[in-house]
Formats: sequence, C-alpha cells, structure tokens
Amino acid sequence: MKILVIEDESALRETIISYLEGEGFLCEYAGSLESGNEKVCLYEYDCILVDIGLPDGSGLTLISKLKEFHPETGIIIISAKNSIDDKISGLDLGADDYLTKPFHLPELNSRIKSLLRRRKFEGKQAVVIENLTILPENRQVFVGNELLQLTKSEFDLLLFFTSNRGRVLSKESIAEHLWGDFADAADSFDFVYSHLKNLRRKLTEKAAKDYFQNVYGTGYVFMAE
Amino acid sequence: MRLQAKINVRFLVLMFLIFSVAGVVFYYMIGEVANRNVREMLESRRAYIILNLQKGSLLTDSFSSPDNSIFIRHMDQSRQYRIYSDTLAYDQAEKELIPFRKLTFTASSGNHHYKVVLLQSLLEMEDFRMLIFTFLGGLFLFVMTSLFLVNSWLFSKAWNPFLKSLSVLNSWNFSEGKSAHFDTTGIDEFDQLNDLLQNMMQKIRTDFVILKEFTENASHELQTPLAIIKSKLELILQDRSLSDEQHRQIQAAFESTIRLSKLNEALLLLSKIENQQFVGQKEIDFCQLVQSRIEYLSDLFDLKKIDVTVQIDSLVLFTMNPLLAEILINNLLSNALRHNHENGRIFVHAGYQEITISNTGKNQELDASGLFRRFAKQVSTGESNGLGLSIAFEICKANHILLSYHYTDGMHHFVLKQES
Repeated sequence: MKILVIEDESALRETIISYLEGEGFLCEYAGSLESGNEKVCLYEYDCILVDIGLPDGSGLTLISKLKEFHPETGIIIISAKNSIDDKISGLDLGADDYLTKPFHLPELNSRIKSLLRRRKFEGKQAVVIENLTILPENRQVFVGNELLQLTKSEFDLLLFFTSNRGRVLSKESIAEHLWGDFADAADSFDFVYSHLKNLRRKLTEKAAKDYFQNVYGTGYVFMAE
Repeated sequence: MRLQAKINVRFLVLMFLIFSVAGVVFYYMIGEVANRNVREMLESRRAYIILNLQKGSLLTDSFSSPDNSIFIRHMDQSRQYRIYSDTLAYDQAEKELIPFRKLTFTASSGNHHYKVVLLQSLLEMEDFRMLIFTFLGGLFLFVMTSLFLVNSWLFSKAWNPFLKSLSVLNSWNFSEGKSAHFDTTGIDEFDQLNDLLQNMMQKIRTDFVILKEFTENASHELQTPLAIIKSKLELILQDRSLSDEQHRQIQAAFESTIRLSKLNEALLLLSKIENQQFVGQKEIDFCQLVQSRIEYLSDLFDLKKIDVTVQIDSLVLFTMNPLLAEILINNLLSNALRHNHENGRIFVHAGYQEITISNTGKNQELDASGLFRRFAKQVSTGESNGLGLSIAFEICKANHILLSYHYTDGMHHFVLKQES
C-alpha cells in the first residue's frame, strides 16, 4: 500500500511516516503543493494525506485535481484549521476524511486502514487475527465460528486496537477515538478501563486468548503473533 | 420614547407655558389699556362739563342725563376733589347689575359749586376683553396645531436621512463581507455622520478580518508545534524498552501537551464565538439533538450507572449554527455527567421554548455568578479545563438564548430559554 504524505512541517511528516512505515505502508512525501502535484501526476497512490495550509497554496486545489486523474485514491485531509468551511469544502471536493491537528497517530492509522478497507475491498475484507475474525462492514466479530456479542463501543475499541496491533495506545487516544470531542467530558479514562475490561472478559470467555497488555501509566497494547 | 415624540411633548409643554405667560401679561395689558381708555373718556367728559359750566349755562338745580351717565348737583360750599372708583349699578337694558367706573369731581363757576358724577359702563370693555380672549384662545389652538404639524413634517423631512442611516446600520453585519452604503443626504451634519460611520465600519470590518486571520493563524501556528510534540511523544511511548520511570515522565509530558492543545482549541472557539464567526444559522430541533447526543454517549452514562430520563412536553426550536448547537449540548451534558455521582440522575425536560438539563451531584448550590466565568473550577476534576460552561454561555449569548442555573430538590438545573 502506497501512501503520499503532503505536509510542510518536516518534523510532523517524519513522525507520521515513521509510524505508518511501522504499519507496513510504503510512504512517500511532498513538502509543498507544487511537489505534491508533481508526485500525484507521476505516480499512483492508494491513499494521500494532504495538509490544507501549505506554504504555496491550499491543499484543497490538489483534491479536485486528484479526483480528476485518480478517482480511486483515498484522500484524508489533515489540517490545523479546525474550520468548518474547510472541512465541508474538502469533503465536498471528494476527500474521504478530515483530521484536525493535533491528532493521535493511532487514530490516523486506523482512519487510513478503514478508508483502504472501504475503497479497496468495498469493506468486505475481514480482519483475521489468529482465531479472531472481524467483519468491519457488518460490525461482527467471530471467535472461531462463534459470533461474539459486543456493544458498539466495544466493537469500535476492538477494531481500533486491531488496526494498531503491537502499538501502545494511550488512554487519551482511545477515549478520543470512542467519544470524539466528548472525550475530555467526563472521567473518560475510567470508562476506557471499564470498556476494555468488558471486552477482555467477553473475548477470554469465548476462549480467545487475552490479547491486551497493560503499559504502565500509559495505556494498552494489543499483542498478536 | 422616539425623538419626534420627545420633541413634540417638549414643544407642546413649552408652547403652553409661553402662551400662558403671554396670556396673563396680555390680560393685564388689555385691562390697563381699557382702564386708560375709560379714564381718558371720563377726563374728556369732565373737561367738557367744566367748560360748559364755566361758559355760564349755570345750573341752579341738579341734572341727570337720560342714560344715567352724568349727574350734576349743586353744592353750597366749595370743596375740591376728584375721585375715581368702581361701582355696580342696575342697568335697565341688561336687567342686571353691571360694573361701572365712576368719576366724582367738583367744579366751580363763580360762586356756584357743583359736584359732578360721571359713570362709564365697563360692560363693553368686559365684552371686548372676552372677545379678545376668545380670539386669542382660538389663535393659540390654531398656531399650536399648525406649528405642531409643520414641525412634525419638517422633523420627518429633516431626520429622514438619519433614519435611513439607522436602518442601514441595523441591517449591517460586520462578519458579512459587504460594506454598508450611505446615500448623500445634502445635509452637512448627516453627511459628516455618514462619512464617519462609513469609515468606522470600514475600520471595524478590517479589524475583524485581521482578528479573524490572527485567530486562525494563531490556531495554525500553535497547533502545528503541538501536533509535532504530541506525535513525537506518542512515538517515544511506543518504545517498550523504556523504563517505567521514563514512561511515566513522557506520559506526563504527553498528557500536558494534550491539555494544552485542548485549552488552545477551547480558547480559540471562545474567541470565534465572540467574534461571531459562526454563520449559517439553522432552526434546530433541540429535543432531537439532545436525544441523539444522549444516545451517542449512552455507554458513558451506563458506566457511571446514571439514570437518564428525557421528558418532552413541547418542541424546542432555537436558531443557531448546527455545530455550535452540538457543542452547546455536548458541554451541558458533559457537565451534567462530570459533576454527577455514581447511580445519579440526569433529567432533561423540554417545555415551551425552553429546555432544562438537570443533574444530581454535589448537594449544595453552586455559586451562579462565577459558574459561567472562564477557568471557574468549583471542584477540581482533573480533566476539566474550566471552559466548558463559559463556552456554553458564550454560545447562548451569541444566539440570544438565556442560560441560567438554579438548584432545587438536590438537582442542579441548567435552563436554556429563548431571550424575549
């Protein structure tokens, strides 16, 4: 899977690429609108991350161009401008998703994976981990052949973890993934803990092994072979 | 009170005062003039009578004129006097007592002495005075009415450009791009005012744009470094070879960065609301909005075992930007959740054009005055930045909704109500 990261802040770009490469993606980058345009014209990508506020222009112009030449490429806007206008016009132009800086890297990763599942496999691709089968489109989880009853949040949680296998997921990023802006609303970390406890119980009850590990003070890791 | 009404009232009161004073002065002046007239008349008669008496048409007996206005009586001894007085006498024609001016004097011709009484009816003078007053009263009413009408007409004519400018100002919204336009009025003062307004609006508009750009740029400039710090820390946290202590330190830095970026976002949101940068208002069904938000957050409520009840008696519609409406309800619900205790209750009631979100919590009334202030943390709950309620308050203020707080029956109530 090839991903193009168009972002002018080199430090941010490096961390994004470093995280995504750890997920097995092939990453290329562009630091300006011009070089981004060039790359888009020359090569094909599965997914493009584009910053709106580039020094030589708005990333929005690139989106319409991209939609013309490579309509199958997934587009995620990353922007520091939490402005509704940009969000709406970006999605109107054909972007698939919109992330506001600062975002959590696992969140970006899970959005990219979800986007690729939708685009490449029309969402029909199952996520298989050992004896665990997840059907994202149907929102179903099987342990072996047995259907697991999960709540909406528990399912989202499981998908988020499996998208970021082997990664330390902080409580903050989990809470934000589940509840968005509401994450800092309440004692969301306790809630993350309770949700995770329930999810682990349901999984282990069905004889799936306990994939989750605590990371001291930070969060949790989903470990699988 | 409208300017015209105010001017009219003052005008009428002043006119009334002026006419009253003028009336009183006039009354005495006419009286004086009439008095003099009568006096002159009597004096000229006196002169005539004296002249005639001296000419020799001597009287040995008394004389009364047929209309009872002259009495001459012969006197034995000579005495000199001349007295004016007022008297009442019966008048045959009018058949009533009428006022008279009376002149009593003495005259001599040789050895003959006379006492003469001259009477002059004041009835005509009274009539005359009445006539003048009726006329004056009529004139007063006429002048008042016509001045009033002329004044009103002139006023509306003269102030028309002002009212036009006012309506231009009223319909002007500085967050919209177009600048207001004033027609030239031909009146120097108004043209000057309009010029000043135009310049001022231009200035406000540019300031607004600059501020807006600054807000957005500040957001951009701050969020980018924050994003870098955050993602770098997140990457370091992935490193499982770190010691627990190192993990703890980095985690603390990571959490603070998140807090900082949330704080930055919240402050930017506040300034955006205050600058009225949220346009695109829609009529929003708050009952539906609250229900959908509660549903979305149901597991948060469940985990704290909070009983959420929604009672809808009436449709509640507020007009505002949809995103702001969502933030508003989010903040109020999260407030109700955060300050609740386990097994608590949240009760949402929609009544006529008002919606109340009530929650259990601390069994004590909160200080309502400080509640909506920024960074007003009443209880320190770690994750709260103390801006949630002030954001809700600012959203309400910008959209003409009253957000109020009261505490009854162990519940904290937050009421949203359309400003009347």
